Amino acid sequence: QDDGVGISGVVVDETGEVLSGVSIRSSAGTASTSTDDGGRFTIRVPANSTLIFSYVGYTAQEIKVGGADQQLTVTMVAEASALDEVVVVGYGTQRKEAVTGSVATIGGDQMRDVPSANISQALQGRLPGVQLSQTSSQPGATTQIRIRGTRSLNASNDPLVVLDGIPFPGSIGDINPNDIKSIDILKDASATAIYGSRGANGVILVTTNKGQSGQPARVSYNSFQGLKNVFSKYPMMNGPEFVALRTAAGQYQNGLDESDDVDTDWQDLFYRTGNVISQDVGVSAGTERGNYNFGGGYFQDEGVVPTQKYSRISLRGTVDQQLGDYFRIGFTTNNNYNVTAGSQVGLYSVLSMSPIANPYNEDGTWKRTIRMPLDDPWTVSREIIESVQDQWLNETRAYATYNSLYGEVSVPWVEGLKYRINLGLDYRQSNGGAYTGEGINSNNPTTPSTASISNSHTYHWVVENLLSYDRTFAGKHHINITGLYSAEQNKFNRSAMAARDIPADAFQFYNLGQALGEITIDPAGQQYELWGLMSWMGRVMYSYDDRYMLSATLRSDGSSRLATSHKWHTYPAISAGWNIGREAFMRDVSFVDMLKLRVGYGQTSNQAIAPYATLGRLNTRPYNFGNDNYAVGYYVSQLPNAGLGWEYSETWNYGVDFAFWNSRLSGTLEYYSTQTKDLLMNVNLPSTAGVGSYTANVGQTQNKGLELSLNGVILEDRNGWTWEAGINIYGNRNKLVALSSGQDRDENNWWFVGHPIDVVFDHEYIGLWQEGDPYLDILEPGGNVGMIKVRYTGDYNADGTPVRAIGPDDRQIISMQPNFQGGFNTRIAYKNVDLSAVGMFQSGGKLISTLHSSSGYLNLMSGRRNNVQVDYWTPENTGARYPAPGGAISGDNPRYGSTLGYFDASHLKIRTLSLGYNFGQHNWMDRVGIDQLRCYVMVQNPFVLLSPFHRETGMDPETNSFGDENAAVTTTYQSRLLTIGTNAPATRSFLFGVNLAF
Amino acid sequence: CSKILDEQPRSIYEPGFFTTEKGIQGGITSMYAHLRYIYGNAYYYNATLTGTDEVTYGQQADDNFLAMDLSGRAELNSNNSRADVLWNVVYSNINTASGIIEHAAQMETVSDALIAEARFFRAFDYFMLVQTFGGVPLDLGAGELAFNTNPSRTSARNTVPEVYTRAIFPDLRIAVNDLPDAGRVTGGATKTLARLYLAKAYLTYAWWLENPNNIPTYPETDRTDPDGHDAQWYFQQAYDIATEAIDNPGPFGLQETFYDVNLGPNDRNNELLLYADHTETSEFYNGSSLTYSNGEGTENFAGWMMTWNYTEIRSSSSNSAWTAVSSVQREAVQALGRPWVRMSPTIGAITNTFADKTNDSRYDGTFTTVYRGNWNKAGVSGPVYNVNYAPVSPGDAILTFLDEEPDQAIDYSNSMYNSNVGAGILPGRSDFVISPRGISRRVYPGLWKLGPYRTDNGNGLGEPNAASTRPFNIAKFSELYFIAAEAAVKGASGARNARDLINVIRARAGKWRWDNNGNTEKVADNSAAMVAGTPATIDINYILAERSREYYGEGYRWYDLVRTQKWEELAGVYEICGPNIGDHTPITVTRSIQPYHYLRPIPRSQLDAMEGDRETYQNPGYN
Repeated sequence: QDDGVGISGVVVDETGEVLSGVSIRSSAGTASTSTDDGGRFTIRVPANSTLIFSYVGYTAQEIKVGGADQQLTVTMVAEASALDEVVVVGYGTQRKEAVTGSVATIGGDQMRDVPSANISQALQGRLPGVQLSQTSSQPGATTQIRIRGTRSLNASNDPLVVLDGIPFPGSIGDINPNDIKSIDILKDASATAIYGSRGANGVILVTTNKGQSGQPARVSYNSFQGLKNVFSKYPMMNGPEFVALRTAAGQYQNGLDESDDVDTDWQDLFYRTGNVISQDVGVSAGTERGNYNFGGGYFQDEGVVPTQKYSRISLRGTVDQQLGDYFRIGFTTNNNYNVTAGSQVGLYSVLSMSPIANPYNEDGTWKRTIRMPLDDPWTVSREIIESVQDQWLNETRAYATYNSLYGEVSVPWVEGLKYRINLGLDYRQSNGGAYTGEGINSNNPTTPSTASISNSHTYHWVVENLLSYDRTFAGKHHINITGLYSAEQNKFNRSAMAARDIPADAFQFYNLGQALGEITIDPAGQQYELWGLMSWMGRVMYSYDDRYMLSATLRSDGSSRLATSHKWHTYPAISAGWNIGREAFMRDVSFVDMLKLRVGYGQTSNQAIAPYATLGRLNTRPYNFGNDNYAVGYYVSQLPNAGLGWEYSETWNYGVDFAFWNSRLSGTLEYYSTQTKDLLMNVNLPSTAGVGSYTANVGQTQNKGLELSLNGVILEDRNGWTWEAGINIYGNRNKLVALSSGQDRDENNWWFVGHPIDVVFDHEYIGLWQEGDPYLDILEPGGNVGMIKVRYTGDYNADGTPVRAIGPDDRQIISMQPNFQGGFNTRIAYKNVDLSAVGMFQSGGKLISTLHSSSGYLNLMSGRRNNVQVDYWTPENTGARYPAPGGAISGDNPRYGSTLGYFDASHLKIRTLSLGYNFGQHNWMDRVGIDQLRCYVMVQNPFVLLSPFHRETGMDPETNSFGDENAAVTTTYQSRLLTIGTNAPATRSFLFGVNLAF
Repeated sequence: CSKILDEQPRSIYEPGFFTTEKGIQGGITSMYAHLRYIYGNAYYYNATLTGTDEVTYGQQADDNFLAMDLSGRAELNSNNSRADVLWNVVYSNINTASGIIEHAAQMETVSDALIAEARFFRAFDYFMLVQTFGGVPLDLGAGELAFNTNPSRTSARNTVPEVYTRAIFPDLRIAVNDLPDAGRVTGGATKTLARLYLAKAYLTYAWWLENPNNIPTYPETDRTDPDGHDAQWYFQQAYDIATEAIDNPGPFGLQETFYDVNLGPNDRNNELLLYADHTETSEFYNGSSLTYSNGEGTENFAGWMMTWNYTEIRSSSSNSAWTAVSSVQREAVQALGRPWVRMSPTIGAITNTFADKTNDSRYDGTFTTVYRGNWNKAGVSGPVYNVNYAPVSPGDAILTFLDEEPDQAIDYSNSMYNSNVGAGILPGRSDFVISPRGISRRVYPGLWKLGPYRTDNGNGLGEPNAASTRPFNIAKFSELYFIAAEAAVKGASGARNARDLINVIRARAGKWRWDNNGNTEKVADNSAAMVAGTPATIDINYILAERSREYYGEGYRWYDLVRTQKWEELAGVYEICGPNIGDHTPITVTRSIQPYHYLRPIPRSQLDAMEGDRETYQNPGYN
């Protein structure tokens, strides 16, 4: 036996820095050592054996030694840790460390900590600067996504979604969250500029799972299911409270079905227990030269409102294959079929129903209608709705297929040069049908039945030609150049019909031709849109020694939507990064793993106005000459604008990325400022122009904000305990800088220069009029003590009396903007058990509850219908917030009743709380081939803290409607303002889940 | 490949379509359809009536109504004046008319008669504007009376005489000449219609020139006629044109009885020259749901405003202890309809304007005075008892608004028989009663004229929550008599004097064939008594009173009072009882009607959207 060979040398990291404490052992024998302070080592090992170098945070190196003594310099490469994650940046990837734009990333697993119907729900509160607001609480609803605030007044503020590299034309609900590998959100212009005209509102890059090369077949199964209940009932008055209100108001006597000794909870008679089911199976594998991934899933969400249900079947597959040395092809397909049902059932009739009405006839059957003092509504209950579900239904069935194909050639004679072609082919269709049988949901038993159908189709194709060159010179100069030429076209077509008086319920909406009554094809319901986009783009990314990074982009877009000579626009973006952590002078600062400064400037633009806006338009007016001679009239409603061009955003972005203490603490701090100019705006012309509006480039908005995200490992496997936590916090300051020239306010649209886009224009509630308050008679002619007091802004006479009554001039601009918001997540693990929580919070801002406001007709304070449970003024209870019943009114509501609907929107909400168990490597698992098994129980939406609204009402402070929905009067608020209205109530669910891989 | 960037809309019309013959046809249709946005719209309706001697605000009134009443509940301003409805609709229609007139001139296939319809509507809109707001712009951005396709954000107002002499008169003169005797379509514009408006425009302009009460105009201008005529000349023209129309009526004329003019089944009768049409045969063409409406856009919901909440009336299902039963339910019939309680008649309208309720059929043909049981249609069975526990049958009177104050005091206590609406009882009657001086902002006779009429009620209550599917009447043949009479009072002369003309109307008013109050046939001819009751000398106040009897609650009143400058005199004070159940004591209310109120404020939305000097654009006195 020989005594081996002597090996000595030095171990350095990638920057050439020596590493001390690197452990070195031999693959054969027992010899081991570690490097000294100078990174040096000496070891004797058997000849032709292998030396293994290992060091925390670095990839282990194996080096085969020969038969002779030798000197080695070993370079350790840092592990693919947080520092070296790859980030999808659009038309390519980049190491996170080298990114110079603002990109927020979340992994699929992390995202799935919140089991959801769709990505948008799952992302709520997860990423700084990404605001996801619920616009409907019905099953399957997606949320509104705003990245760094609202920029546009009339053009879309929705970000671009890119699925596996292809601009996504569909509904975000069509993407199964279980298929997601990662989501990368490009936030600033230097990052989004590569998407040019579609990037102004941010870009969401969705990457789905792929097989890994060299990976054996792996099957995964993920499932959760559970029950859901109402988070809290809408706070309506019970019988005795309602009797007291009606008595205090003194306006109505009990209706014929009412009696003071009855106490009916209509909500109890209405809600059901809902359920959620999610089942997903996937298989993936890879060889050296190719890989695949296929999967299927089923998701179902049955709401607490009877008949409301969303279900989705999804199928996906992806294949990549290397052909020879130079060719690579791939194919990805994402398909789904989903059904949304139950939107016909509204909550208003349930909530407004008198609690002192007995719903049953003497024989125990349900009354058809409930006779209240003024109203005679159709009785709504769970049992009734379920019994008529074949006569009263509304469902939408959608099918979508999103496909992409690519081919890639590595140009053999130029190292690093590749040509790639992407082809995207997408199709989505949606069929809606609704039927309401005779007398259903009507107080008149003979109101004719109605049926309607609608069909829409989206056809989308895109071709992208990409040339890329990626090479490192002299070890330190890394250059990446991308060139793109792409063309894209999207066609949308919708048709809709409605009919009255379907003779047999069995037809439902399946044969409108059988209608005995009118069949309507409303021109406003038919739609055709074809738009196209052509683009050239070039991007250069350069980094020197991973210390200095520069990225520059130039993109030119041509859009069909803009006027002939204004279709094209070119915009630049540039950003730079400095990895201070890699500088020599930082070597001694040992706690710093990474410290990077970034700055970026870029221009992006928005063309997201409806096609044909430059052409002008005629509106139609149906009319009848005599009883049955019909005609349709036309008039010019919108003028053409041959000068319509692009809306631009210019953004500056400043960021710091850092990682300290072996990445135990990492995070990002960013500041941005975006100016959006030449807004694509539907300019309302004065009536005297004779034409309602035209689309023009006018006005300017501004968004500035600060974002911070922090991730920390508080305990790292200490005695089996691990504790991780992450938080993100951000604040955006939105301002409307200019409207049309000379215009500083547009009261019609609630746009005011110098204020955020989202404001309420209304009187300001300052309390209630109390006995002895001066000038009640002047300020509120016809008013009464106990009525709402609003701010008066007029002048005063010399004797101190107000010069006039309170009027519309006293309305105030009330900002909806929060001070800051964010989210957090934390996970505590002990051995195989872990407990995690995900939450979100908001400080400040306003919440509109149309339940409490006049528009909801649920706070009439008159005892006409049931009322929201409120603390109201009486001579004995003068400190109340709500006015005296039966006082001064405006319309059917208390005067200034709209001011009762504004609440402080602050809240902290735990979204999920889950307890999981990871089965370690047990023998029995090996025997059945299980790689990984995890079970968990979870409660979603367990509780809300720090919310004044929740404290008063017990309700979830999350919005559930657009401003023009789910209220009795839908014209009070601008649609863009989100409200809490009479949509499906917030729920709390209890889930059990399994993740399995083998 | 650049084809990708081309656009060809396929589901909407480009403005270019407007230059085709079919586009012009559609343009004309839209001019009729634009009437719906004004007539039948309850807020505009309110602007024409609330604040006059006919109407005040009702118990459920909001600022829309309180402001128009000028009685101190809210200050009228550019934001709450509901004359904005008119302003916001007509300019686009004026522009459409100008477009048709321009484009059709280049096409030989479009007849003069068709173009005359456009001219009529352009003049009609300008006439409504000039009466409501004073001088208004003739140039929308492309030159005077030219079709505008510029996104113009500036506007300059012409003066009142400019609007009359350059727009209204020339257009109407051509319309009179070119329009046919009988309408091209049902409800189409005719020679008679154009004559009515030309006569009325002359009359109105004559008053404006005369300016008897020194009411200011705006933009300020001398009261001289650019065409060199004086007020007297225009009064005479008004008389001549009106009498010419009367003498050459074409297919038009007076109905036999006043009742027939406004009776639902008799809609679109030959007395009606113009209306905003609606239909119950099509939701789409009706422009409103046939089952439920929120009261907006093109819907005809004006009739809801002066409908009080009669559904609160209670009778008893027991004849020993008062057990409330809803005996008058919401029903889609002309006497009932949907209650919104936003407007109410003044006591003076009931007691003075309609002092004669026996000879003159017009009180009975205007108001619902008796509320009759209809519980059977709601499926309520079993006996129903009313006052004195008298058994009542469906169709019987449950509540009656008395024609006169009774000799014996009404017991309004509701102590034994609780009407639930504060109505009273009189000995020997089984119905609840309210006397004329007991009407309140909450309980008052309903407006029968505008009530709904449907043929699809079957045996039930129908669809009372839908907007009315009846046409909203705008112009009537009868008004020609009033115009001529008013001109005659102002000195115009001709074959008929004012008394002759008015007596035609009054004689017809004396004819009865149905009694709404009694819900029974009533054939009577009180024409002689009516004519005998006409004063020997007719003055302008008498004309105005007679107009109110004829057109009460139809949206004429504010314009009549403003034209004759009698608003303050006739409507400065009114009486009505309070807003609560049981209020039966008349309260005298004084309005603050200032000279500047004779012009409505330019709407805030106009000023907001405008560039340039907004201060001087607004009518003086308003903010």
